[in-house]
Order: sequence, then structure tokens, then C-alpha cells
Amino acid sequence: MLVSTAGPDGASRAALRLLIDRLPGVSAIEGAPAMSEVSPLTEAPTLQPAELVESEPLRAVSVISQTPGPSGFGAFLDGAQRVQVIGRINGLPLVLGTVAAAVRVRINRRLITWGGESPKVEKRIYVPVRYLGQPANLKNADFDIVDTSAPDSAGEFPSMHPSLLLERAVQRVHTHRDQLESRLAEAWCAASDAPIFIDGGISASRPVASCPLAVGVIKSHRTLYVEGAALGIVLDLRKGERSSVFRVSPRGRKTVMSWYLRVRDAAGRDALWGLVRIEIAETESSSDRADEISRWVMAEMSPLSLPDGRWDRMAYGVRDCEEFLRAIS
Amino acid sequence: MSEALGRVVATERRPNTPHEFHFWTAIESPVGIGTIVRVDGTHPIDGQIPHIYGIVVEGFSYTDLQSPMHDVLGHDGSPTQAGFATTERAEIRLYTAAVLRQLPEEPLQPVPMGQVFLAEEADVQVALRMDGYLRGGANTGIPVGVYRAGGTDAVIYLDADFLLGPEAAHLNITGVSGLATKTSAVEWLLSSLFAHFPEEKGSIAAVCLNVKGPDLCYLDQPGKLEESDRKLYEKLEVPARPFEKVEYFAPFTAKGLTLNTFRNNEQLLDNVTPLTWGLREVLQFAEVLLNKDDVDAKADAVIDFIKENVVDKEFSDSILQKTHRVQSFADLDAWFRDVLRGLEQKDDQSWRTHHVATIRKVRNRLSNISTRCAGLVTDAGTVSDLPFGSFEDRTVYVVDVANLEEDAQDLIFARVVSKLREHLERRDLGVKHLVVFVDELNKYAPADGPDTYVRKMLLDIAERGRYLGLVLFSAQQFRSQVHRRVVGNSGTGLFGRMDPDELSTPGYAVLTPATRTKLATLEKGQLMIRHPHFTQPIFVRFPRPSVMQGREGSERYPQSGEVPLDAAVLRSLRALDSSLTMAWVQEITALYSEQEVLRARNATLLAKPADVRAFFASQFRKIVAAQPVPRQRAPNIRTVPDDDPYAF
Repeated sequence: MLVSTAGPDGASRAALRLLIDRLPGVSAIEGAPAMSEVSPLTEAPTLQPAELVESEPLRAVSVISQTPGPSGFGAFLDGAQRVQVIGRINGLPLVLGTVAAAVRVRINRRLITWGGESPKVEKRIYVPVRYLGQPANLKNADFDIVDTSAPDSAGEFPSMHPSLLLERAVQRVHTHRDQLESRLAEAWCAASDAPIFIDGGISASRPVASCPLAVGVIKSHRTLYVEGAALGIVLDLRKGERSSVFRVSPRGRKTVMSWYLRVRDAAGRDALWGLVRIEIAETESSSDRADEISRWVMAEMSPLSLPDGRWDRMAYGVRDCEEFLRAIS
Repeated sequence: MSEALGRVVATERRPNTPHEFHFWTAIESPVGIGTIVRVDGTHPIDGQIPHIYGIVVEGFSYTDLQSPMHDVLGHDGSPTQAGFATTERAEIRLYTAAVLRQLPEEPLQPVPMGQVFLAEEADVQVALRMDGYLRGGANTGIPVGVYRAGGTDAVIYLDADFLLGPEAAHLNITGVSGLATKTSAVEWLLSSLFAHFPEEKGSIAAVCLNVKGPDLCYLDQPGKLEESDRKLYEKLEVPARPFEKVEYFAPFTAKGLTLNTFRNNEQLLDNVTPLTWGLREVLQFAEVLLNKDDVDAKADAVIDFIKENVVDKEFSDSILQKTHRVQSFADLDAWFRDVLRGLEQKDDQSWRTHHVATIRKVRNRLSNISTRCAGLVTDAGTVSDLPFGSFEDRTVYVVDVANLEEDAQDLIFARVVSKLREHLERRDLGVKHLVVFVDELNKYAPADGPDTYVRKMLLDIAERGRYLGLVLFSAQQFRSQVHRRVVGNSGTGLFGRMDPDELSTPGYAVLTPATRTKLATLEKGQLMIRHPHFTQPIFVRFPRPSVMQGREGSERYPQSGEVPLDAAVLRSLRALDSSLTMAWVQEITALYSEQEVLRARNATLLAKPADVRAFFASQFRKIVAAQPVPRQRAPNIRTVPDDDPYAF
């Protein structure tokens, strides 16, 4: 979690003003920190077997060519989110969530914002409506209001525990961000003919998960889609090696093809260092496609994304997206 | 309106101020150091959208790379791999601009955020406040060059009122030698001045003291111009042709046979006039040639006595053998000899309160002058001078002192400038405004060193000349070595390519490092200009002068060396009458001494008579040629006997 100590910005002041106007008893939180990167809910690290697409058993395949090849990616997509606890009422958190997403296209080796669909920045206020203790009309033109005390899929209401309500707010902000990214990815798939590098998985959106242009690159590995001997092969992948292609349905979403790729030499480092998992839509020629895309992803690792802490797995185009979103949101 | 090329940015660490702002541009934008830009504000002030004009004085470029080590790591330490990166790092071109002008001018506020545009020609006029003196009916603009950036070609004008007075005056040029900056710039600027100086402001002429090389010796000859130069002349509305009226002045060589100038080729002698002075002219400026150690108060008193009582007067005294009329150095020496002889005869130590040792010392120093300044100072007292009182409009008068000894150069400089000043004070020079061009100013007005007569004169011109119409155009390689009051009083400054050592001196600390770097790398034909109306230095291009350059001139018209007397006379007089022949000269001069012949030639050159033959011949005294008488053999007194044994 990255925490910014920047003072209140214009948007958070406006949101707080709205809440104070509409909800008697709201107290502001001075210098509320902004949480830029938040894991919505801590998942336990798990191993989950997957169906191999290439011949069994899972093996390491070298994708390195003699000379660094060009990348076929024409654009990069990434999103960003920020969660700010701007006030409280009855001790419960009032949260401003800001999400943003953008597509940056590459023209003459330089990245600029895609003109087909402008970057998105959306802000919502997350309020535990059920526990306000008073009827409130929070409808307004500037912010959508999201109820963090709404019942879950089983119809159960959350407790009044402030941390739980904050977690639910964070979860909803994250979902909002996923939706925003999916909208942009779908727009790209509908309008363009160049492959797009998407930071994260592609299975959340059915149109994107079936689009041959979409390539998702996942940097975090809370779930590893291998077990047994295959796990050792993946963790021992050397730079420029990929695993056999397998089929996954993360969190029960649309099934996509996937494989692991080591983009940097992990000698002397953690086993997950420089390891990414790539997702693409189902395809007949999975091996050739996996080799080709692996080479593209390898090519995107230069320039380095330092000083970002995830630089070992982050493509420079993704970092560019993040810097762009940081500037506009 | 053109497209915006940048946006103003300001941060807490790097805020904008009323005199400076920052903006970024696209990588491929045509902005560079010296580019003039316009900022359009977004919020009106007193109902008026502010427009800010600035000139780029510093540039920065950087990427999102946090450490050079990251780039090394990213390419595994191999620079050759860097070219394979599919994406280039995000890069910024960030510029700092110094404010030239804000509209409205009040209230003076920090530069607001806004879009940045490349200044167009009309913007340049406003930015540099040229709109104030380019108005119809009151146009005092003198084109000095063309400002070029990103497709904008804007003529930059100097204000004649601030170049030639009375508001401000004088111009100083600095630049390294050998890049044809200083002399070329002056030649170009004089052309422009003569073409554009407003008629209603009166007449103007220039006196150029050529102190080195032949560059100023062919101002009336056409030079080689390229098409790009002709276009510049057209744009600047200055005729691309040499000066129409040029007069050259040069002393003779020490032998007195030929003129001591690079321009003594026979084909070019028609507008070259000898520069010779006699005793009176030199004594007025004896201080120039005699240093303080020589001329103490007692010696000064003797010189004053001679000037007041002896020169050009009938002078007699009891100790003198005769009455003297001193008109030349030869006469003066005879007078000294007579005085000293009289003192010796009387065995006296002083005469008219002057001690004999002082008289001897003054004699020694003064007599030495005609030797030290041979060719310029004549024993005979012949005076051939600049046409003080009849200077002509739009004429260049070049005094070539390049080949003279330092003393002679100083003497000419001091006397010419003094005479010019005298005539301008009396308003009878012939022109209302006069530009005096002096190169090598660090020699004549050094920051350090003795307080010479010449330096005092230059200071006087710099500080008071503009009220008289006497304007100094000066040049030097090292501005920092020139007296600060001389360069400080120059309203306009031109800077060509500069030496880095010179740029590191305190006088250039006001310039940004980028501007200094640009100055150190300027091409031929580029100048940086400071002018009272311009709040920041401006870079311009100027065309190469439309006159023949020194090297070409000296190849096409080689300097003639010493020649026999009759050839020298013929060459000089042919400038007045091309029908003269060597046979005629030899016939006329055969019976006379070299001194007499040269005196006759000089008198003829000075008089410029209609009938050169008659005038030249009349300068000689009559000599009746000896007639050979046939010798008559005397008859023998008596005959010798045939048998005389002693006879022979």
C-alpha cells in the first residue's frame, strides 16, 4: 500500500463539503492520507492446477531469439485508484474513491494518449448509509454515492466495524477500477487492430477475454496455476523461458489461455522475481502465439521501469500509463 | 493564428516571476535559445487578456530516468542495445524565458499560465518595443539584422535616436578575430545607416580609422554576395552595393615616395589623398607623442612658448643671429640651434626663464617627432588633411593608419578626432552626425594602463559626444579589457562569437549559461544585440557586407612596394591626369633633387589643379641649362725647329 501525505485536494474538499452539508455530525479527518495502491482483500496464497494446452508435462520453452525482436504491441492500458478517508460519522469511515484508466498508444517509439477513447477519471463517495442513524438525501451532480453497508450476495448486512466498512469501500473502488479498465479495453478491441498490453488479467470482461488483440500481463502471483513438479519448473524458469500454455478461469471468470514467462534473470533473487503470467484469448496456434507474445513482452522490459518497486516485472509502457494517470487524477 | 507550441508551467520550486517564466514544448518544436515567444494568458486583467513576450534564455531536457545507473542496467551495460528499445523514455523539453514585455504593462504581475506561441513578425515588433519607433511619419528604425526562428523572419531595427543620439548613442562590437564579425558588422551597419537614417534628422558621414589589415580599404568596390545575402538585403531594404562615396587618407612611407596604405595600387588611387601634417598641426598634439616623463611642467612651458611666440611668427631676439620664421620642423631645428648657440656664446644657463637643459630636452624630443612619424609629419610643413568643414552626406572617410608606428597612429587619432569635435561644436563640419569607427579599442582605451591622451579623448566622446552628433562605433576582441566608461556609455552592443575565457569574466555574468554557450558558438553573420529598447539580448543574422573584403582586395589590387622616384611621381599624378607619361615626368624632374620633386608632387596632389602638367612644372625653380662651348685651339707662339734635339 502506497500512502501519500499530500494535503487535501480540491476533489476531497468538495466531497467533504457535500457530506457536511447533507449529514449533520460529520467530522472531517485532517490531512487524510491517500491510499494509492490497496489490495482490496487479502487473498491467501494458493496453488491451483490448470489444464495444459500444450503437450504434457509442463515444460520450459526458450523464446529468446538471437537479436532482440520488435514488439507488436501498439498500446498499453492501465488503471489507477486512490482511496481517501475524508471524514467520519458516528465513528464510521466516509471514503472518497478515485479511479482512473487510460490507453497510451505508441507512435514513433513514443507514447501518447489514445484519441479513440479519452482517459477516464471517476470519483465516488462511499458511505455506510444504513448506519447513518438519520435519513439522508445524498444525491448530487458531482459524485455518485455508494453504500458500503449494502447487503452482500447472501443478503447479509456487514457489521458496523469501521475496518470492515473501509475494506468494503476499498473493494468497491477496486471493482470500479476494473470496470473502468474493461470499458477502455473493450473500446480498444472494437476500434483498433493492434495488440494491446493490458496491465493485469483480461478475463473480467467477456469481449476482452475473447479478443485476439488483448494481452494481459499479471505481475502478482497470489495464485499460482501449477503444482507438484510443474511448480518447480515454473519457479526455475530462466530469463527468456516460458512455461507450457495452460487454460485458466481466474475467480470463475471467462476462460483464457495463459503461461508464465521469466523476463529477468532471477539468479540470487526471489523465485518470483521477474516472473509474469500472460493471458490471451483462446487460439488454435497457442504455442506459436505464446512464443511471439513472450518475445514482445520481453522487448517491453526496456527501458527499465525504475524507480518503481515492481520494475522487475513492469513494462515501461505500463509505468508510463501510471505516471500519466498520476498526473491527471 | 499559429498553433500553440508550448504551455507555461510553474511549480513551487520553480515559480514564474514578472521577469521570467517556464514552458514546455513538444520534442520536435523549433524553439531554441534566443527564440522569441508569446504567451496568451487565460484570465483577463482589467478586462484585457494579458500577452507576455519572452525570449528563451535557458533550456532543459530530461527523461523520467531517476539514475544513470538505471539506464546501464536496462541495457546490460551495452550502449549498442539501447537502440533496440521499443519505447523511448518520456522526455521533456523545458525552457526558461526572460520577459521582454508584458501587455498590459500595469499591473506588473508574475507570468500567468497559458499557451505559448512562436512570435510572428508583428509580435517581435511589439516584444522589442520597436512599435514605438517604427510608426509611420516618425520612423527612426535602422535595420540591424533578421531574427529567425521556426519560420519567422523578422527585421530587427535599432532606434536611430538611441544609436546616434541624442537619447543614447555609441555602439560597441565584441568578437573573436578572424571570423569577419567586427569589421563586417560595421560595414553592414554603415550601409544600413546610410540607407535608412531619416532625412529629416540631417546629414551623416563616417570616419573609419583603419588600424589593421586591408578590410576597410575596398569599401567602394563590390564584394561577392550569395543569393541568401541578396535576399537578406532585400528583406532589410538596404541596397546590396558598395558605398558610393568613399575618401581614403593615408600618410606617405618614410621615404615619401608612395602612400603607406594597402590601397596604393595605381588603379585605386583616384580617391586616395595623402595625409601629411606640418609643425603647427603636430605641436597642437605634442602631448600625444611626449609622455608625462618627458614633458614636465618646465618642458611644457617651453613648448607653449614655441607655440605661442615662435611658430608662424617673425621671431627675433638679442641672442639670435637672425630673425626666424618657423614653419617647419627644419625651421624649428634651425631656431633651436641658434638659441643654443647664443646661450653658449653668452655662457648663460637660461633664456627667458627657460633653463638650457630644458631647451635641449625639448629640442631633442620635438626633433625626434619628424623621424618617428616620418611620412606623416613633413619637415617642409606641407599640410594635406581631411576635408574638415566640407564633409559630405553619406560619405565614408577612411584614414588608413594600419602600417604606421604606434606614435603616428596615436597622433592621427588624437588630431582627427579633436578636429572633428571642434567642427561639430561649431556646427561647421559639413554634416550633422558623424560616426567614428575605431577598432582595437582595448589598445586605445584599455581598462588598465596609463591615462593616455587618446584614452581621455575616447572617454570624452563616449560621455559627451552624443550631444555634438559625434558617435563612436568601437570594436575589440575583449570587451572586459576596455575602459568600463567607454563600453558602459555605448547604448548599443553587438556581440559576435566570443572567446570562452572572455565569457567567463564578470561582465557576462548577467547572461545565462545557455546564452553564453550560444555566444561561444555563433556562426559567421550572427550577432547578439543589446539595445536600450530591448530588455534582453536578441540574436540576429546580418548579410555579408556588399563591399570587397580585404583578402580579395589585396589579391586583386596588390599593394605596390617602393618604386623609383619618377615612377612614384607618375603614379601619384596619374590619379589627377591619366595622360601623363614617364618621359614627361623624367624630363621635368631631371634637374632637381628628390626633396624638390616630392615637394612639387605633394603640392600638386594637394591643389588638385585642372592643368596638372603646368602646375607641377611651376613648382620648380628655374634652372638655365648649361650650354657646351666649343673649345678653340690656341695657335703656337712659335714654330719649333725640326732639328731641335730637346723638343718633344
